[in-house]
Amino acid sequence: MLRFDNVSKRYVTGLDVLAGLSFEVAAGEMVFVTGHSGAGKSTLLKLVGLLERPTRGQVHVDGADLARVRSRGIPYLRRRIGMVFQDHRLLLDRSVFDNVALPLLITGTPRGEIARRVRAALDKVGLLARERAAPQMLSTGEQQRVGIARAIVGKPPLIIADEPTGNLDPQLSVEIMNLFAEFGEVGTTVLVASHDLFLLKRMRKRVLVLDHGRLIDDFRPGEAA
Amino acid sequence: MSARHRSGGEAAATRRPRRPWRELLEAWRDQHFYSFFSSLGRLAARPFTSALTVLVLGLALSLPLFFWLAYDNARAWSGGLREARDVTAFLDPAGDAGAAVALADELRRRDDVAAVLVRSPEQGLAELRQLAGFGAALDVLDGNPLPSVLVVTPRAADPAYDPPLVAELRADPRIDLVQYDAAWRRKLSGILQLGERLVAVVAALLAAATLLVIGNTVRMDIQTRTEEVAVMQLIGASDRFVRRPFLYSGLWYGLLGALCALLVVVAVELALAAPLGRLLGEYAQGAGVRGLGPPLALVVLGAGAALGWIGAFIVVARHLASGRPAR
Ligand SMILES: Nc1ncnc2c1ncn2[C@@H]1O[C@H](COP(=O)(O)OP(=O)(O)O)[C@@H](O)[C@H]1O
Ligand SMILES: [Mg+2]
Repeated sequence: MLRFDNVSKRYVTGLDVLAGLSFEVAAGEMVFVTGHSGAGKSTLLKLVGLLERPTRGQVHVDGADLARVRSRGIPYLRRRIGMVFQDHRLLLDRSVFDNVALPLLITGTPRGEIARRVRAALDKVGLLARERAAPQMLSTGEQQRVGIARAIVGKPPLIIADEPTGNLDPQLSVEIMNLFAEFGEVGTTVLVASHDLFLLKRMRKRVLVLDHGRLIDDFRPGEAA
Repeated sequence: MSARHRSGGEAAATRRPRRPWRELLEAWRDQHFYSFFSSLGRLAARPFTSALTVLVLGLALSLPLFFWLAYDNARAWSGGLREARDVTAFLDPAGDAGAAVALADELRRRDDVAAVLVRSPEQGLAELRQLAGFGAALDVLDGNPLPSVLVVTPRAADPAYDPPLVAELRADPRIDLVQYDAAWRRKLSGILQLGERLVAVVAALLAAATLLVIGNTVRMDIQTRTEEVAVMQLIGASDRFVRRPFLYSGLWYGLLGALCALLVVVAVELALAAPLGRLLGEYAQGAGVRGLGPPLALVVLGAGAALGWIGAFIVVARHLASGRPAR
């Protein structure tokens, strides 16, 4: 589903943020990317969604070599990736429903189907009753769940989330992570960047550890380590 | 965007899914509906800025219209003047009526003369009396000071040159004064040509100004929506999708600006029509003020809409290009 071959990334500032990264993630797998702040977690996720391009090496998403995706193709790649952000990035001037509907509107989904799928997504994150609410009226945890509903509404085969629980208390964080784990169970590949070691231990999923842009460990808590 | 990524090596993940045309048509309609209303919402969200933009555009667009109307009226009004080729000869007042008729007969026999009209001093006086205000002044005179007048129509000739007839009349001792306004008429034609050019230049300048004003307004609109644009792009919106509501905004600005310009012009027309009509009526019988016709109004609306669309397109294209990852 996801393959990095000897990927390096250097920003114009000159430092290698990622160096010689190689790993593979199978379809339906849930993987955490962790490491100290500045280790390159966000950069790794950005390469997957073509927010940035690697300086060296190849990234394959769902069999597609991203180096061959031109500017015009980027939107179509992103439609197959659900993105979740630490600060949720909801549009504050629209209702919860309209926020979640956005990816479907973009792909030109028929209106009746939009309503059906938005409700299904909101139901999955437990916010069906709040579809008419404005994002500001929700709690931080609820806002993050709306962000997740928006990421899954298009049924993408891959979900990437950058510190999705960074702003949440431990209890809420576990709930959110369990939500991601559920998607994994239905065949969706999930890649989550997080530096919350307690959470990683608890989830018992595969973990990639970055240190100054190098992959220094790849393990599953409770199995080998 | 018609770019389907069909080539074998192109990423499967970025291939556009094929769908039945009917569904595509409905999606297209839905998206335009969405853009149409969201662009109106954008205008309404900042009513003061929008109104200001529309007013500025209205005044800017009305200016070339006023120039054009002035030119159009001047052209229509001077049409008769420019056509007339008559030579007017004022005879020596010392001569009597018989001398005038004799000279007229002499001229009629010439090959290059089409017609000669004799107007006696009495006719001239009667005409003068009819003109408002002159009656009392004429009563003060004891005799008739007016000369006999011959209006000579030359046979058609090249309008760029004075016919030789004019010079011969000027040399004739029986004639006091020859009035032939060809030179003045040629000048009038020149002025009208200049006016036409001026209208075009003013229209071009203000079209450019319109483009800039709308571009700038849409740019401010984008700036307040950078986050929205960024999020849209992250969740897979094509450039087209992001661009569309802004294009509609530009279209609305242009259209409303043009409508505003038309209203300004019509208001000024209504205010000026009566006094101007009276003034013109005294010079050119029957020629009223020429206003703005429906065809021109449609052209103005279309031009406004097109300028708005183009202005918005340029600005949004720049913004989108700046947000792409470098290769
Ligand atoms: N756009 C950028 N330009 C230059 N340097 C960047 C950019 N984004 C991130 N960096 C640098 O790259 C390093 C890794 O950043 P990041 O991937 O955000 O790490 P993490 O998410 O693990 O904290 C940091 O040193 C950061 O300063
Ligand atoms: Mg980060």
